Amino acid sequence: MTAIPLHFELPDSQTAIKFLKKLHKTIDFEIASQQYTIKTFYDSFDWRLYNADILCEFNQSKSASYISLIDRNSGVTFVLEEQQDVPRFSDQLQNGRLKTQLSALLEMRALLPVSQLPHQVHHINVLNKDKKTVLRIRLDEYESLANHITLQPLKGYDKALARVSLLLQNSLQLKTTTPSATLDHALKYQGRKAQDYGSKLALKLDPKMRAGQASIIIYRQLLRTIQMNECNTIADIDSEFLHDFRIAIRRTRAGLSQIKHTLPSPIVAKYAVFFAWLGQITGPTRDMDVYLLSYEQYKATLPISLRADITPLYAFLKDKQIEAQKELAAKLNSPNYRTQLANWEQYLKAPLAKKDRAKNAHISIKELADQRIRKVYKRILVEGEVINDSSPAEALHDLRKTCKKLRYLMEFFQSLYPKDKMKFLIKSLKDLQAVLGDFQDYEVQEINIKHFSEEMMANNIPSNTFLAMGVLVQHLDAMKCAARDQFAKQFTLFEQPENQRAFKHLFAHKG
Amino acid sequence: MKIIASYNIKGGVGKTSTSVNLAYIAAQQDYKTLVWDLDPQGASSYYFRVKPKVKGGSKQLIAGDRNLDGLIKATDFNNLDLLPADFSFRNLDLVLDERKKPTQRLKKLLSPLTEEYDLIILDCPPNISLLSESIFAASDILLSPIIPTTLSLRTLEQLKKYIKDNKLKHLQLVPFFSMADRRKKMHREIIDTLSEKHPDILQTAIPYASDIERMGLERKPLGAYLKKGRSTVAYQLLWQELLARMNNHET
Repeated sequence: MTAIPLHFELPDSQTAIKFLKKLHKTIDFEIASQQYTIKTFYDSFDWRLYNADILCEFNQSKSASYISLIDRNSGVTFVLEEQQDVPRFSDQLQNGRLKTQLSALLEMRALLPVSQLPHQVHHINVLNKDKKTVLRIRLDEYESLANHITLQPLKGYDKALARVSLLLQNSLQLKTTTPSATLDHALKYQGRKAQDYGSKLALKLDPKMRAGQASIIIYRQLLRTIQMNECNTIADIDSEFLHDFRIAIRRTRAGLSQIKHTLPSPIVAKYAVFFAWLGQITGPTRDMDVYLLSYEQYKATLPISLRADITPLYAFLKDKQIEAQKELAAKLNSPNYRTQLANWEQYLKAPLAKKDRAKNAHISIKELADQRIRKVYKRILVEGEVINDSSPAEALHDLRKTCKKLRYLMEFFQSLYPKDKMKFLIKSLKDLQAVLGDFQDYEVQEINIKHFSEEMMANNIPSNTFLAMGVLVQHLDAMKCAARDQFAKQFTLFEQPENQRAFKHLFAHKG
Repeated sequence: MKIIASYNIKGGVGKTSTSVNLAYIAAQQDYKTLVWDLDPQGASSYYFRVKPKVKGGSKQLIAGDRNLDGLIKATDFNNLDLLPADFSFRNLDLVLDERKKPTQRLKKLLSPLTEEYDLIILDCPPNISLLSESIFAASDILLSPIIPTTLSLRTLEQLKKYIKDNKLKHLQLVPFFSMADRRKKMHREIIDTLSEKHPDILQTAIPYASDIERMGLERKPLGAYLKKGRSTVAYQLLWQELLARMNNHET
């Protein structure tokens, strides 16, 4: 095993030349290369690589350009591949370890530049008596950030690593640092920090807080998510900007309807209409995104002999997506959207006193949360219990919507309750939602694929494509029926006495 | 993962130059490569500037008391490591003889390294002994440099017979001409005759050249100090041909 690299930072006062002069007094080394390099850190918008403890660097110099993946904790480079540029999506990379590693983490998310740092790289070889390299030192010299030193150990030469490391710490008084220090400093310079965006709600509410005030906190965070995703939704960087944008809209709508009487009724009425409109105009693009994301799965369900025949469906979906995206971008650039969203922001920023006129604004958020969650939970039980094998699909769709309301309420108010209990109950709700979601999705997809085939008829498409689409519809129908069959079992699990007791106990308001 | 033994019964035929230079080229092409210097003279270790010293010597190494991975040294080149020689390797035969199943010993010792490396090159001492038998059992390829002399024909045939007699079906013998001097009439004639008689001999011949002899002064693989010379190109072609031979054999 090779030892892991060690990292040091040069103090601001010390230039690379000064450091090398000092080093030269005690150890024998040669400078292997010195090169102007542009280092760009890449990650997805939601920090999927950083969250998985990976740093992705693209280093460009005159002699070579390469992408490297580095373990954020140990500093070990575990993938290094020559690349002339960084494609937006990992599936555009040539087959190899880089593609495999990135695709598993990034999925459909784009790889975006996070920070770009032009700098001078000095590669230094520490030599022994036989002029054999026993340690490599990399010195990254930045203009406006602390210079970074990496001791890169060589297998079988641990003593050299220990000796130079001691020298840097004791004689040269250098401080050790982490492999991600440069990225962290660069982000700080930009007024950012790593993991500053995540699609999960991270609200911290005080149980005694007035409901009016708490609801404003919730809406503000949702508005922030909308604003953070807006620009790249318009630019169509990847499908997930729109997805997160829509979820924040849906959550805002659920808040307006479910965190009842915390805002004045005229405000709720006004913005319920605005956010409903936003939900509606973003729908067609998201639908097409979902079909495109499911395309490979669709293809895999077909017999091998028909797989190539479905290709025209992809082109059809892509055209529709481009069209829908164009319309969406125009609407999100319209004065109507911009004014209404700015007004909503203004409203949320205004002093609280003006908003506290609603009936529930003054009660504690915990009391309101208890009430609302209990009520919606009971509604799910009532709606679910009457569903049997002959119930219409609408009954399941209505129940799905009620479940979603409960889910959003539980996520808004998660911080008011014990974490483990909440996690357990959300999990049981999620399982029920998964079955209901599948049922709805397969049904809608089945209907829409049929519609698409009618539209495609006019486009001179080969008959085998329709044959393949027919097989796909059959598969979707089978999946829909399977989800329908699963419902009774999943609902029984959800309404089991243990869950009911847990809900009753956790959300019983104790005053 | 492939294990290649650079081997000939005779000494001074270019086994070490072959090991060091092919390992260097393979490593440059992103093959994670290990050279094991099994020759007690330690010439590969010398070329890579690594001390020919193994903690515990041959006895502890063959006994498996020491983890092979812990004895490996990085060379100055990316993707290229070395398991150095030790003077005690002159007794490897005796040490092997004391073990049960001595011919399987090397294979067993190497097996944990097969995950980490794409290629292991064994730089072998010149003889037929218990150690060679152990090397034959562990290797996939027996890469054999032959000098174009009449004696070479004999050694090549001896080797073929040995492989046949011992039913070493897994072992692919790949001979090639080494230290070939096209100025010498005898070399030219033997290359032509032997190539005809033994079509398994690789097309590429490594020339007899002072560039290659300079490795001892430079203490580096040829490609590290001579990027475009005739000898450098010859080793690159040899590697390409060997790679093609290995791939063909697999399919």
